[in-house]
Amino acid sequence: MARSLWTGSLSFGLVNVPVQLVSAVRDQDVHFHQVHKDTGERVQTRRVASTDGEEVDWEDIAKGWETDDGEMIVLTDEDFDAAAPEKTRTVDIDLFVDLQDIDPVYFDHPYWLLPSGDGAGPVRAYRLLVDVMGNAGQVAIGRIVLRAKEYLVALREQDGLLSLTTMRFADELRSPDEIDAIPQGAKGKPSKREVDDAVALIGELTDEFRPSRYDDCHRVRLLRLIDEKRRSGKVEIPEPEPEPQAQKAPKDLMAALEESLAKARGAKGKGTGGGKAEAPKRAAKTAA
Amino acid sequence: MTAARSLWNGTITFGSVAIPVKLFSATSPHTLRFREVRASDGVRIEHQRVGAESGEEIAYGDIEKAYDEDGKQILLTKEEIAAAEGTHPKVVAIEHFVRAEEIDPVFYDKPYLVGARDGGDHAYRVLLAALEQSEKVGIGRFVLRSRENLVAVRPLGGALGLQTMRFDDELVDKDDLEVPSLRRTPGDREVKMAGKLVEMLQDDWKPEEHEDTYREAVMDLIERKRKGLKPKKAKRRPEEGGDLADALEASLAGGRPKRRTSTERKAATKDSASAKASSGTKGSSSTSSSASGSKASSSKKASSGSKASSSKKASSGSKASGSGSKATTTKASSGSKASSTTKASSGSKASGSGSKASSTKNATNSGSKATSAKRSSSSKTSSGKAAPKRKTTTTKKAGS
Repeated sequence: MARSLWTGSLSFGLVNVPVQLVSAVRDQDVHFHQVHKDTGERVQTRRVASTDGEEVDWEDIAKGWETDDGEMIVLTDEDFDAAAPEKTRTVDIDLFVDLQDIDPVYFDHPYWLLPSGDGAGPVRAYRLLVDVMGNAGQVAIGRIVLRAKEYLVALREQDGLLSLTTMRFADELRSPDEIDAIPQGAKGKPSKREVDDAVALIGELTDEFRPSRYDDCHRVRLLRLIDEKRRSGKVEIPEPEPEPQAQKAPKDLMAALEESLAKARGAKGKGTGGGKAEAPKRAAKTAA
Repeated sequence: MTAARSLWNGTITFGSVAIPVKLFSATSPHTLRFREVRASDGVRIEHQRVGAESGEEIAYGDIEKAYDEDGKQILLTKEEIAAAEGTHPKVVAIEHFVRAEEIDPVFYDKPYLVGARDGGDHAYRVLLAALEQSEKVGIGRFVLRSRENLVAVRPLGGALGLQTMRFDDELVDKDDLEVPSLRRTPGDREVKMAGKLVEMLQDDWKPEEHEDTYREAVMDLIERKRKGLKPKKAKRRPEEGGDLADALEASLAGGRPKRRTSTERKAATKDSASAKASSGTKGSSSTSSSASGSKASSSKKASSGSKASSSKKASSGSKASGSGSKATTTKASSGSKASSTTKASSGSKASGSGSKASSTKNATNSGSKATSAKRSSSSKTSSGKAAPKRKTTTTKKAGS
């Protein structure tokens, strides 16, 4: 099982539940080492002091804050803990809100929040929170400090356990107003016909969300490359294809929408070209 | 206005419609940036690349990547790795669309904002309006910094957003976890009391009310250190142990336990109207949004709501993608609890069009308390530029 990243307590009113945090995301990336291109010798990173070039052990490294006048303030882990001691050890539930009210853009990293230890009391208190949150169908909002950064967190019941997701603060999200390239204004507002056509096209291209159907092609390609290199010792580097012509905005948007719509409907009617996108939907319907 | 720099220029396609777009980061983290220093004297640390055996420094240009397979190293050049990704037309091809509510937020990863370029404005707005109306999300793939990503194209704060997605096998399931048996069920009384406590703590999602207070505490700490003062002594919270039912009872008796301590202080000064309105006004908003044209979709909303266990939820679900006004209507009719207006406005922050809805209300119904709450919460985040934008969507709504 994944290692716990943090242990502390979850506090709900005056009820404190000992909990541990485990990442809900596992790293599936293909990892490489850095090596010397000729000798194949592994590359290591050595941390040295910039003044005397002496190597510095990991334990002797602290965080430095440079003030405006160039002074370096050294901060240790203990300092960070002392900055807000209660926050580094507890997740306080502040309020409950509807999950649907929160745009997913606020959610950052997902974790599982599991009971820490298996004492009867704490486990029962944990179970109580799971049940209550499940019943309420709501998300608890609280705070946690991880790696010297405070996060707003959302806790909810998932699969009979509690999940915790770190959130972005509102001021960490950019407003579209900051970006000129985002079109807005009364001028250039799409017509009802255009939007209706686009909605119809979207309808034709709609399918169920089935996450398992998406493969990480990047990972697959890298593994294939590694395999090829291992077997034959070399990799064919294909001639780069010419960059396809940049696609332009359609001159006649209505025509493009209607053409797409006809194509999508035609494909569906014939039951051939609909592709994988259509098949499962039909299957689901029959099953129901 | 800050001139935002685009990260990627390309095209979003769906059907045979192509929209030339630019991509911008949707986040600007306010993390404090520290340097690595030697603890004893604060001297900066530098990173050196050295050979693991020889200890000799290796120039960056002499470094390649190697894959370790059963202790055997397979060396790959930068060219080979690049070739594996192939050549990519700069396109986000939307393969299909899914209903927004089907995607658990756990799948969403890094968000971007999409802008239009080279005559793409019109098609951009058509796609945005169609996604908002249908409450759907486009799923496609695109390559950013030589890495292919699964992405969702969806409305984000009144613009098109693009959010990279996690793959299914990257998520840790319940089955992958070691959890002690949770079979011992809590007593009815405990469940009831805890449920009451949840009710007491229920509120609307107002993202701008939550500020990073720890950051301030660290800045404070830096200041103390600079002055040569000792860091404040850590105060330990007394451990609350003992009987679960007792603790619950005490929590209920104590009223709202530590309700948003830090934020509340701020709210008291900055945003008192908002705080008051959200706790005080119940349902005073019921009529306020009708001005903005609640349109036929309320029945549709109700049906989409049947999926989510309560009508209250249903209405809030609709908000996520779209217009606060619709949501408010449903809510008012279902008679569900509390400040529906404020709710609409908080959804708005994320989804843009809600804020417009609330501005309509401001105009038509500026008398109600809830309205003033909204105004204060939305004006807090939106800059001066927000005004014309709000007006825009109001007209849009009237038109549709």
